[in-house]
Amino acid sequence: MELEGADTGIPGGTKEFKEVALKRLLAVTLMLILGVSLLGMAAGKVAVVLDVGGRGDLSFNDMGFKGTDQAAKDFGLQMIEVQCATGADYLPNIRNVARTGDYDLIICVGFLLGDALAAASTEFPNQKFAIIDVDYITGPNIMNFVFRENEQSALVGALAGMSAAYHGYSAAGVVLGIEIPVLWHFEAGFRYGMDWGLKAFAKHEGKAPSVNLLYTYTGTFSDIALGKAASEAMLAQGAVGVYNVAGPLGVGDHEAVAEAHGNLGTLYGPPYFYGVDANQDFIGNGFHGIASGMKRVDTACYMAVEAVVKGQFKAGVTSLGLKEGGVAISKVGDLADFILFGISGGSVSADDFYTIIANWAQNRSTIPGWIWDAVDTLEAGILDGSIVVPTASTGDQIAAVRAQYTLGAP
Amino acid sequence: MTENPARESRLLRGVHRTVTGLHPALESIVAAIVGLLIGAVLMYIWGFDPWKAYWALLRGAYGGSYEWASSLARATPLILTALTFSICVRAGMFNIGAEGQMMMGAMAAVCVALFAAPTVLHLIIGLVFAAVAGALWSVVPAILKVSRGVSEVISTIMFNWIGRWLALYLAIYVIVDRMRPEKTLTVPVTARFPILVRGTDLSASIFLAVGVALVMYFLLWHTTMGYEVRAAGLNPTAARYGGIRSKRTMIISFLLGGITAGLAGATIAMGLPPSYAIFGGGAFPELTNLGFDGMAVAMVGRNHPIGILVAALFFGGLNAGGRVMQFYGSNPVPLEMIRVVMGAIVLAMAIPELIRLFPAIKNQGERFFAVLRRRRETRSKEGKA
Repeated sequence: MELEGADTGIPGGTKEFKEVALKRLLAVTLMLILGVSLLGMAAGKVAVVLDVGGRGDLSFNDMGFKGTDQAAKDFGLQMIEVQCATGADYLPNIRNVARTGDYDLIICVGFLLGDALAAASTEFPNQKFAIIDVDYITGPNIMNFVFRENEQSALVGALAGMSAAYHGYSAAGVVLGIEIPVLWHFEAGFRYGMDWGLKAFAKHEGKAPSVNLLYTYTGTFSDIALGKAASEAMLAQGAVGVYNVAGPLGVGDHEAVAEAHGNLGTLYGPPYFYGVDANQDFIGNGFHGIASGMKRVDTACYMAVEAVVKGQFKAGVTSLGLKEGGVAISKVGDLADFILFGISGGSVSADDFYTIIANWAQNRSTIPGWIWDAVDTLEAGILDGSIVVPTASTGDQIAAVRAQYTLGAP
Repeated sequence: MTENPARESRLLRGVHRTVTGLHPALESIVAAIVGLLIGAVLMYIWGFDPWKAYWALLRGAYGGSYEWASSLARATPLILTALTFSICVRAGMFNIGAEGQMMMGAMAAVCVALFAAPTVLHLIIGLVFAAVAGALWSVVPAILKVSRGVSEVISTIMFNWIGRWLALYLAIYVIVDRMRPEKTLTVPVTARFPILVRGTDLSASIFLAVGVALVMYFLLWHTTMGYEVRAAGLNPTAARYGGIRSKRTMIISFLLGGITAGLAGATIAMGLPPSYAIFGGGAFPELTNLGFDGMAVAMVGRNHPIGILVAALFFGGLNAGGRVMQFYGSNPVPLEMIRVVMGAIVLAMAIPELIRLFPAIKNQGERFFAVLRRRRETRSKEGKA
């Protein structure tokens, strides 16, 4: 096209004319290239800012990256990730990205970024933001995403309660991190679910089991050794397994469970390990991880990008539960997804794919089908709204839940 | 141990003379260029464009007033922790304890949230708290050294751990914000350093850091006390022969170091937006490593307060610019790679001073192994008896 135009633009055959035409041709091509690249830029950019935990945790941060990356691919956007080396980087990193004005959306993954985003969002009123696990940042340019962790924990609690009763154990354990309101959601849900599970067991077997709840707030999200110590104490007190509610501490919890199996000389069956946030069933080649209460950070990030692309950006708090696919109890399909995720992260060898699934399936078969069906019943009840799982966000509320579902505590 | 000690020391002296023979400023520049080249090669090998990356670094560090302010903000605590290390090096000791002293200082500064006071007074009280806490945490290793001859390298490293866990305990259980238990109480507005450049992290704490550096320069080079400290560092035996009380200089240098480290903690707690609090939940994401980074700053700054100011500006720029490398244009470099490159630059820049300090480090090591050997000998004697 341009060539034809250029040809007709040359009336004579003199050298100057040719040069002028050549320059015009060049200008037209340049403008075309510029136009195309502008179009490419108009397709948009998203940034995901991670806290000091950083990539490689195969959990919270990696899921935030995965969800945003997937959305960027699906909607044809450019995506960058910004990690923070120290806590002092949070605010400057958000500011640096927002200052460019190039990004349609900046996603902050994790509550540690809350203060920084609250400050930055008022400085850049035209920049759209999203944040995970924070519900207190008001402002017309921020989507807050929170999860109804009580729902996923209720499912895990029901499973743990019933499996303890079935295998004749006297307790089920929960190892938590720092006692913050988010963790109260987990505790409240687990208490309700465990109570529900024990009642379901009593109804099925015709006799009420005696199973206690053991729980510890370790005060840390990073000290794996403390998680192991807390788990060992619970297993020694007769716990059928431990539910990890402290991210990385799960590695320590799993170690404690694996060592207990080593002492018993067993490979499958109780004690079990219950994972959190990501699908952690694949930890330790699929041995002992029976189910995970998943918190789909990736889904939230995907939804945030989707909302911006489709012009449905909605400031305020979006709560994600079972119904919205924000939380779930792990199933076989997720396991395959997350093993692939682990392989891409380099922490799982590709050769182990089928071994892990086989180990996991073998372990799951140590719990009878009717218990799994009961968990599905609870899930269906929560989904259709006939069952409402209690939650707690304040000290008074958790005290009330603890008083209602004592689970063996005097 | 070695077959030919004379030859080894001649070689070492040769290297030493070649490196230290240059003018210090020229030497630093050569070291910086070497470091940048190593970083460039590393980035090239892993498929990043070093030119674009360094351009992003430069622009992110010193490209405008916003960038300068960010770099200065990051330099502030480093100036103070670098002083901790360098004062003690000048006195002939290795104080590795800036990290723990800084954490104690930060916790002490947060304590101003427990009571109200008028604006400037509140800030000053917090600084005094932090300075006292840092000094207390530093004086114990000093006393152990003076009275029992405990190596300060070992004791300060141990005190770093004790300080870290004590500070975490305080942050999680004592001065915790009950509504947001992942962090400590928030320092009230009356006790905060005012922000100097709107929209950046740069607060008036930079004046504190620069002021302390100048005071330390004056103390070390223009007072009798400073002269004694430096003389004891250059040659302890000669200093003692000359009538300098070496135990006193040791205690003084440790106290001064502890004060500066404590103040470094205060600049974070009271001068770092937006939280003005310390996060225990993430295990001190704002504080961790500032004490150790300070040692690198001290070495690049040749353990001289004025040199430290320049070096801290350079390090602050590396920090502030390094962030930008992550998302600059078509050549985003992941944070892990940026840290590798930074490490190469820092290492290259610290090497000249490390070589200069080598005899002292070697002495420390020999003394330590001598103690071990003596203990083993006594034990084997006891066994025979």
